[in-house]
Amino acid sequence: MGEVQKGLFSVIEKLKGTTEQELRIVLLGLDNAGKTTLLKQLASEDVNTITPTQGFNIKSVSCDGMKLNVWDIGGQRKIRPFWKKYLENTDLLIYVIDSADKKRFEETGLELSELIDEENLKGVPLLIFANKQDLATASPASEIAEGLNLHTYRDREWQIQACSAVDGEGVQDGMNWIINNIVKKK
Amino acid sequence: MADDGEWMLESIAGYLSSPDWIIPIADFTENNCSVFDDEDENKLTYTEIHQRYKQLVERLLDNYMQEVGITEEQFLEASSALTVNKTLQAVFQPVLATHDFQMFRSLMVQKNMELQLQALHVIKERNGGLPECLTDGVDVMSELEKKEMNILQEVLRRSKEEYELEKADRIQEKDETASTSSSLSEALLGTACDSVNGINGTSQENELKEYGVLKTSPPSCERKTLPALRPPVKGSGPADHMTSEILSDCDSSRRLTDEEGLQQRTEYLKQQRDKLHALKRDQTLKTPTERAPVAPDPRHHTQEISVEEKKKLQKRKHLAEKLKEEVIKK
Ligand SMILES: Nc1nc2c(ncn2[C@@H]2O[C@H](COP(=O)(O)OP(=O)(O)OP(=O)(O)O)[C@@H](O)[C@H]2O)c(=O)[nH]1
Ligand SMILES: [Mg+2]
Repeated sequence: MGEVQKGLFSVIEKLKGTTEQELRIVLLGLDNAGKTTLLKQLASEDVNTITPTQGFNIKSVSCDGMKLNVWDIGGQRKIRPFWKKYLENTDLLIYVIDSADKKRFEETGLELSELIDEENLKGVPLLIFANKQDLATASPASEIAEGLNLHTYRDREWQIQACSAVDGEGVQDGMNWIINNIVKKK
Repeated sequence: MADDGEWMLESIAGYLSSPDWIIPIADFTENNCSVFDDEDENKLTYTEIHQRYKQLVERLLDNYMQEVGITEEQFLEASSALTVNKTLQAVFQPVLATHDFQMFRSLMVQKNMELQLQALHVIKERNGGLPECLTDGVDVMSELEKKEMNILQEVLRRSKEEYELEKADRIQEKDETASTSSSLSEALLGTACDSVNGINGTSQENELKEYGVLKTSPPSCERKTLPALRPPVKGSGPADHMTSEILSDCDSSRRLTDEEGLQQRTEYLKQQRDKLHALKRDQTLKTPTERAPVAPDPRHHTQEISVEEKKKLQKRKHLAEKLKEEVIKK
């Protein structure tokens, strides 16, 4: 991207006025993790008619006087190579994990560690949702954090939040973390 | 220094209204819009197309700056001044679309719809009305249509919101007031029409009308005049032959009430659209010869068209009409 393009950013900011700041949030995770469900939950939309994402969804949510532009990109294996095309200028990465899908903990951990190494996500805060806590077989967030070696992440702020995207439990807590740690610092 | 800024601003606005800019941008949107439907979910290809759009804009702007001999800083500084000038801001919209995916998307969706409408219009002109098989089936579609309308309104609402944010700023400076409906129109214009119209000096109201007219009759916009697609003289060529063929097809399909008639209509529409497309490309390439398209037999590809596509086309048409109504009413 050339200098003009970068510079245009500031022009656009000016054109949009100073009334509302915007955050770019990218929602990633394996297929079936619950990303789109979470996105719809955030936008207070119906979560019962969701199908696997072949491309990507975008929703804008107002939050504490800020406009959060949330990008939810499909997590199927064949789509994952495209993830890195969406990371530029990201303010926050939300990574969603199906806490009941123990068979794929390793796979999801690998994908996450690859993301963390992406140049475009350098130092970008990370919020992990340990989703599907409503299921009896779900692992607790603390266990997942350990499995992911989250305590070794020292180059960014991070948080893991247990939640259920279908019933909304815990989602607001995650949003509060975003407000307190990112929005307020902007 | 203030004079310098003024001069530069005018030069930039002039460039953004000139064929050097408008034609490649219009070419790009026309050649790439066909995959942009109004489903809620975005396709991965949108991103790739957006990327190429960015590159095109960057290349054009680089050329322009080199030619005029201004630096990027100067360009950006002048561009910032656009905040206070509504007309210039509108011309700048296609540039902003490089950094606003949603804006880019609605621009492309709009363009796609516009081409569909033009194809429909051509059929209307030829036959003195739409074949009946294209106008019925409304009830079947109403559900899907409603959904699509909602999505579209969401897009409109979003662009309106953004517009009003910008506007809120200006109101403070200029103490200017405007009704909600007019700002909706302006927002719509901003995202949908600017790249096509070029816009110079006309008031927003006039542009709105122009937009309405443009939707109903494409030839009102000079670049969009499509001489080759005018109704052909009776019995003068293959196109006329096709027209009567279509009309008789229509009769038979009504008799049979089968899917085939509709499928043929759909294919015909698609071909019209593609022809229109090719034609415009020819025009912009300034090769006015060989413009009269030889209409392909619509029955050749009948089998390839799914019920899905047929539905899509019909709902698109209803949607476009609703949109048109909305725009004209407000
Ligand atoms: N029990 C339970 N099911 C959930 C929860 N969140 C999502 N699901 C279900 O998990 C399935 C997948 O959800 P999606 O939101 O489509 O998952 P995704 O991450 O967007 O998947 P891709 O689009 O393929 O990447 C759906 O059937 C959801 O209803 C949850 O918190 N609890
Ligand atoms: Mg999904």
